[in-house]
Amino acid sequence: MALRIKVISPARTVRAKPGERLADALERAGIPLRLDCNKRGLCGKCFVEVLHGQLPPAAAKEKFWQKQKGLDKNYRLSCLLEVKDNLEIRLPEESIAQEVPILPRLSPAAVKPNPAVKKYVLELQPPGLESPTSLFEKMLVELGTDHLRIPLHLLRQLGPKVAKADYKVVAVTHRDKEILAVEPASDSPRVLGLAVDVGTTTLAVELIDLESGQTIDAAATLNDQARRGADVISRITQAMSGGIRAFELTSLVLNSLTRLVGRLTRRNGVLPTSIYEIVVSGNTTMNHLLLGVPVDSLAIAPFHAVFSRLPYLAAQEVGLAAHPEAKVYFSPNIKSFIGGDITSGLLATRLDERRGNLLFIDLGTNGEIVLKTGKRLVATSTAAGPAFEGMNISCGMPALAGAIYKVESGARGLKLFTIGNQPARGVCGTGLIDLVALSLERGEISAKGNILNKSKKLRVTRGFSLTQADIRHVQLACAAIKTGIRMMLTRNGLRESDLDRVFIAGAFGNYLNIRNAMAIGLLPSLDERRVIFVGNSSLAGARLLLLAVEERERVERLIQKIDYVSLASDPRFQDAYIRALEFKRWP
Amino acid sequence: MKDDMYEKMARAIVDGQRREAERLAREAVEKKLDLLAVIQSGFVPGLQRVGELWARGDYFLPELMSAAESMKAAMAILQPELRRANVDTPSRGRVVIGTVEGDIHDIGKNLVASMLQAHGFEVHDLGADVKLQKFIDRAQETEADFICLSALLTTTMLGQRRLIEILGEARLRDCFLVLVGGAPVTQKWADDIGADGYAENALEAVKLATRLVERKKGNRP
Repeated sequence: MALRIKVISPARTVRAKPGERLADALERAGIPLRLDCNKRGLCGKCFVEVLHGQLPPAAAKEKFWQKQKGLDKNYRLSCLLEVKDNLEIRLPEESIAQEVPILPRLSPAAVKPNPAVKKYVLELQPPGLESPTSLFEKMLVELGTDHLRIPLHLLRQLGPKVAKADYKVVAVTHRDKEILAVEPASDSPRVLGLAVDVGTTTLAVELIDLESGQTIDAAATLNDQARRGADVISRITQAMSGGIRAFELTSLVLNSLTRLVGRLTRRNGVLPTSIYEIVVSGNTTMNHLLLGVPVDSLAIAPFHAVFSRLPYLAAQEVGLAAHPEAKVYFSPNIKSFIGGDITSGLLATRLDERRGNLLFIDLGTNGEIVLKTGKRLVATSTAAGPAFEGMNISCGMPALAGAIYKVESGARGLKLFTIGNQPARGVCGTGLIDLVALSLERGEISAKGNILNKSKKLRVTRGFSLTQADIRHVQLACAAIKTGIRMMLTRNGLRESDLDRVFIAGAFGNYLNIRNAMAIGLLPSLDERRVIFVGNSSLAGARLLLLAVEERERVERLIQKIDYVSLASDPRFQDAYIRALEFKRWP
Repeated sequence: MKDDMYEKMARAIVDGQRREAERLAREAVEKKLDLLAVIQSGFVPGLQRVGELWARGDYFLPELMSAAESMKAAMAILQPELRRANVDTPSRGRVVIGTVEGDIHDIGKNLVASMLQAHGFEVHDLGADVKLQKFIDRAQETEADFICLSALLTTTMLGQRRLIEILGEARLRDCFLVLVGGAPVTQKWADDIGADGYAENALEAVKLATRLVERKKGNRP
C-alpha cells in the first residue's frame, strides 16, 4: 500500500513505498534534491522539515548533522529517512539543487558525426583447427586495420570476454588507433561522450550519444571553486600559496563535474562507464587548475600559460568519472588568459570562415574579444571583472532562479522580470544593464554615473537598491569592454560602422537588451540585426570538437594564426579607459 | 577682481578645464600677481573642493584625472616663473612611485602620481613592472622621502613586502617612508609587512603623504 507524502513548497504529493528512503521517492518524483554525497548521509544537504507524520528514530549520522546545523528534531535527512507513515514535509530552499539555466545553443552547426570514438560490431570466427589465427589478429582483420593499441588489462581479459559473448562483440576504438573496450554485442553497449564547459563561475555539461550525434541531456551548476574567490586572479593566488590550497582548487572543480555527470547519467538511466571521451573547454586558468598544473606563470607579467595544445589525456588520470579507458581532449588555449573556451567559441561561430569584419565578445569576468578583419584574427582580454556576473554589486547575483534579468519601464514604475519567475533575490548582469540604461533615460543618474537623488540610491524593489558604489563598478566593467573594443578597432584601422557582425557569448546569452547596451555605450551603435547572441559558445564548440574529430586539427592550426594584443601596455589605453567611464552611446 | 580670478582658477581645477587653467596661470604671470598666493588661494582650493566631491561620491576617476592634469598644467606655467624670480617653492616632498615588477596595471598609480604632483610633491614616476632594485636606486639618487608601491594583483603584492625586506637587508630602511596601495592591498597588509602607510585612493594618498612628511620635518633638528 503506497504511502502519501504531501510536499509543501514546491506543492506536490508524492507516493512512496513503505520502508523506502524519502530521497528515493522524492527523486523519482523529479524533485531536485541536493544529493551531493550520493545519499550516504555524508554531506548533510538533503534535510527536509517534517510537519506531520510518524517517524522512525533518527540515525546516528542524522543526529550528527542536526547538531552541526543546529536543527530541530523534526528536520530529517531524506537520504536516511525511511518512510513508515503518511507525511507532510517542507523542502527548505537549501536542500534543493539549483539548476543553472543552460543557454540555448547556436542553431547546432550541421555536422556529420565523425567522433574520435567509434563502435564496431564484430562477429568473430570461433576457433577451429583450420584457422589457428590468434584472437587479436582476427579482430584486427575484422576491423580492417594493421595496428591497434590495446591496454594490457584488456588483453588479459580478451579471451574470456569474447568466448562468453559467443564471439559476437562490440569493439570501441579511439581514432581507430586504440581499443578502449570490448563488450558483448548482446549488451548493446552505448557509446557516449561529454562536452564540458568549465567556466570561472558556472560549469555546463552535455551528454551526447556518439553514434547518433544527438545530445541526450544537459545540465549546469556553479563552479564550487567560487568559494575560493570570484575571479581568476584570486584563484591563482590561492593556487600559488601551494600545497593543500592548490590541490583543493582542483578537487573542487572535479567534484562539481562529478556531481553534474552523476546527475546526468542517473536521470537518463545510463552509466558513467559508457562515457568514452570528454572534451573540455575552459579558459586558460580553469584548464590549468583542473589539471593541477601550476599557474605561477599566469600570475605575473607577461602572464603566459604552461600549455596551449594538449595530447589526449586519460580521464582516469585527470580524475573525471567515465569509462576507465576514456580519453580527454582539451580545446586548446590561444594565448595567455585567452583559453580553450574562446577557441571553442570561434569554432562554434565559424568566425574564421565568415567574411567581413567580425567581432566576437565573451561578456564575462575576463571579457575576451576577438576581431576578424580580412585574414587577420586578433584577440585580447579586457579583464572586465565579475560585475557582469553579479559580483561586487550590493544586490548582485549570478543568472540563477530569482535573479532580475530584465527591467522595463512600466506605467507604475519599473517592471521586473526574474529567472524562473521566482520572487526576486537579486540582480544579475543583464538586469544591471537595463537598470543603468533606464536610470539614465529617466534622469536618475548622470552620464558621469552620479546618482542624482538625495538618498544616493536607486531603488530597484523592496529590499534592493543600487548604490553609488554599484554604479561605479558597472562603469569600470563597461569601460573595460568598451575600451577593448575601441582599441581593437582603431589598431586595425576600423570604425564601428565597419563591423558586419558582433557575436556575443557568455553569461548574458539571450537576455541582453541590445538597445540598452548601446545606450550606455557597452556595445557600439550598430544595426541591432548585426548583433548575434551565441549563448554558451564554449559548450557549443566543445560539442563540435567531440563530434567531428577533424575539427580538432583545424582548430589547433587556427589558433596559431591568432595575434594576441596586450591592451594594458598600449600607451593610449589609460586615456581611452578614463574617457570610457562615461555612460555614452558610441561613437 | 583678484577674488574673481581666484574663483575662476579654482573653478578651472574643479571643472577639469586644462586650457582655462593654463590661460589663467598665464594671465596671473602677465599681471605680475603674487604667484604664491595665486597657487595657495586660487588653484589649491580647487583641488580641495575636488577632494570633497570625491568623498561625497560625486566625483569619479575622470574628474580626478582632469583636475590633476589641469593643476599640473597651471603649475607648469607658474613654477618656472617662481624659480626665475628666485622665489623658493620647495616641494612638499620627493616621491618615487611605480607599479611593482610583474604587474602592468598603472591607471590607479598614475592618478596617485598626478595628484601628488598637483599638490606640490616632486614625483618620479618609474612606470609599471618596475624591478624592486630600481625603486631603491632612484630613491637614493633623488634623496626621496617616499617610495610608493602600487600592486593590483594579489600575486604581485608580495613584491611590496620583498622591497621592505631588501631595504632592511641593505640597512636603508630608515632612509625612506614606504607607502603601499592597490586594489588587493589593505591596511592590515601594510601593517603586516612593516610599511609606513597605506592609502585607498589618490586623495587619501595625498593626505597620508602630507601628514607623514610634516611629521618627518618636525623630527628634523
